[in-house]
Amino acid sequence: MDDNAVSGSTSPSTSSTILNFEFRGNGLEYFKIWIVNILLTVLTLGIYSAWATVRNNRYFYSNLYLDGENFRYLAEPLQILKSRLIAIAAFIVYSLLSQHYPMVALGLAVALIFAIPYFINQSLAFHRRMSAYKNVQFRFKAGYGEAFMALYVWPLIGVLTLGILYPLAMLKMHQYVVRNSAYGTTKFDFTATFKDYGMIFLIMLGVAIMFGLPAWAIMTFFKDAAFISPIILAGLYIGLFLYFMVQTNNLFFNCLALNEHRFSAQLTMLGLGKVILINGFLTIITLGLYLPAAKVRMTKYIASCLEMDAKGPLDNFAAAEQDNISALGEEMGQVFDFAM
Amino acid sequence: MQIEGRYMDGTTSSRHYARLEVSSYHPVNITLVIEPDIEEGARRECPLNFDEMKVSSRLGNTPREIAFGDNELFVTDDNDAVDEFVRGFKGGGSASFLHRMENSLTMILGATAVTILMIWAAVVYGIPSSAHYIAHQLPDFTSEKLGSGLTMLDETIFSPSELHESEQYRYRAVMAPYLEPYEDLGPKIEFRSGMPANAFALPGGEIVFTDDFLKLVESDEELIAVLFHELGHLKHKHITRRVLQDSMITLMVIFITGDIDTIDLLTGLPTLMLDLSYSRSFELEADQFALDAMQISGISAKHFASIMQKLDKSYADHSDTDDNKYKAVTDFLSTHPPTEQRIKLAEQYQN
Repeated sequence: MDDNAVSGSTSPSTSSTILNFEFRGNGLEYFKIWIVNILLTVLTLGIYSAWATVRNNRYFYSNLYLDGENFRYLAEPLQILKSRLIAIAAFIVYSLLSQHYPMVALGLAVALIFAIPYFINQSLAFHRRMSAYKNVQFRFKAGYGEAFMALYVWPLIGVLTLGILYPLAMLKMHQYVVRNSAYGTTKFDFTATFKDYGMIFLIMLGVAIMFGLPAWAIMTFFKDAAFISPIILAGLYIGLFLYFMVQTNNLFFNCLALNEHRFSAQLTMLGLGKVILINGFLTIITLGLYLPAAKVRMTKYIASCLEMDAKGPLDNFAAAEQDNISALGEEMGQVFDFAM
Repeated sequence: MQIEGRYMDGTTSSRHYARLEVSSYHPVNITLVIEPDIEEGARRECPLNFDEMKVSSRLGNTPREIAFGDNELFVTDDNDAVDEFVRGFKGGGSASFLHRMENSLTMILGATAVTILMIWAAVVYGIPSSAHYIAHQLPDFTSEKLGSGLTMLDETIFSPSELHESEQYRYRAVMAPYLEPYEDLGPKIEFRSGMPANAFALPGGEIVFTDDFLKLVESDEELIAVLFHELGHLKHKHITRRVLQDSMITLMVIFITGDIDTIDLLTGLPTLMLDLSYSRSFELEADQFALDAMQISGISAKHFASIMQKLDKSYADHSDTDDNKYKAVTDFLSTHPPTEQRIKLAEQYQN
């Protein structure tokens, strides 16, 4: 708790402190919480799942620390249970209608496409509102049009331009998510450009051609060595996947800003690859029982790669007024997302 | 009793050192002492009433939160002290029931065992039998909708059969008498090409034979053996049941892992393996049906064994020439039981 000392320094606006994110969760500890959650969920025929969700989320939020203080998850189980029941009821009505009145169901499906941006807005607002740090809640407020553009129009333009503008669609999506988010009354900013995203895709394309072409050539012209090709292609696929994950995550955090405070991420392909490999192997040989510990290891790794470059103390963020946002948007989104 | 922690007032993100002091004499006084910042100076003492405090439940080693007033918060890492504090007011009640469950070795081992057992029971008995029940309750129009697949298959995979009209006519004539007892299943014989030797039953009642398959067939009895196998799929509504079982598995995974995000490679693999094992049990069920029907019609089970062997061999040959031996073989072996097992079943009928 030494931040009070920092706030007493002579010129707080110029002093810069690197604050590390840290995840203090423990795989075994989370396994115990997880298995009790499953047991109670099954015994209560799913009713307990709302409590389980809250407990799981609380574990991950409360163990994430920045500047010696943890994040918090605030949602109440009953709130989530209510929304879950409504969402499931809506899904059942929809399924029954689509069985007996296909035309009505078609109309509903079209209506749903237009409702999804609204649900996504609500869901993000609920998520942010239920997250707090230093007793100040996050928030999210976006217009319907913006959500519609980010979700449908930009990706469609990306597809229509044969992927050339796909990086732009990704940028627009991240801008929509970040610029409508705030910590208390302070809005987040996002400084990435089309070029930043374009470079990631260009490098991936280049590497794909560099390794893909020889693999194809071996397969067609050197039949005896054809077994090498699938190995090259598998390696290429894994490499590109890791590269994409690492680069987009790093770019996202490196371009994130809260007032004059900046963030940065240093994920590496080696580091992330190691975590995915260990997690995958242990989860498969334990028939899934390792899943909770795998989630902890992944969160730990990502948190260890994140830091905040704080210009002065983080004491002066003001909390926003309370709005009432229900969990329904999120649950509706989840249920219908799954249905499609 | 004193509990050390931090205090945050809920209007800004500033944080102050604070201490919760609980007097040991009666009536119990609770005071939160908030230490001053270097600049602000004034030390505050705020008296609290236990009934107005909201103490979060204990969860692993995460810090404990005590909320009071208008969004004010006291946070401490001293979980044991908070437990003791709460007990002083509420008695040794069930406040930390979940935490005790999560920390008892017997409970954890028990929960793990019970969970594995329940999942196993659901996978082996619950899901297959409820899918069986639902499939046979569904009105026919739904199964037809599920299986309006022939037109789709015609557009994507199949080409029209290259068999001569008269050959098609002959095959239909051979099969017609054997179909009669199963008119209620609405079987419709179709011929197609565009795929290696195979036969399918679609839930709408279409039984499709590929040209390559008919080339393998050397006697009418072999053809009837496979016809009965496909009728078995129709009789037991296998495709409908498989669709139902797959969606139930997905639902189960969502319930277990608690969210939809977790459906990825890790949970996808066991789901796929389950689906394949269900598929193999359906094949055996259809084999059983075919062998029974052949016995009734007085056809020897050896014809069933011989066509299975030919199919097996045709897959092996096919994959040799196609340069992806491994893929074709594993595909065949995974959705269908090993041929030796199916032939053994047929041999049991001969004796």
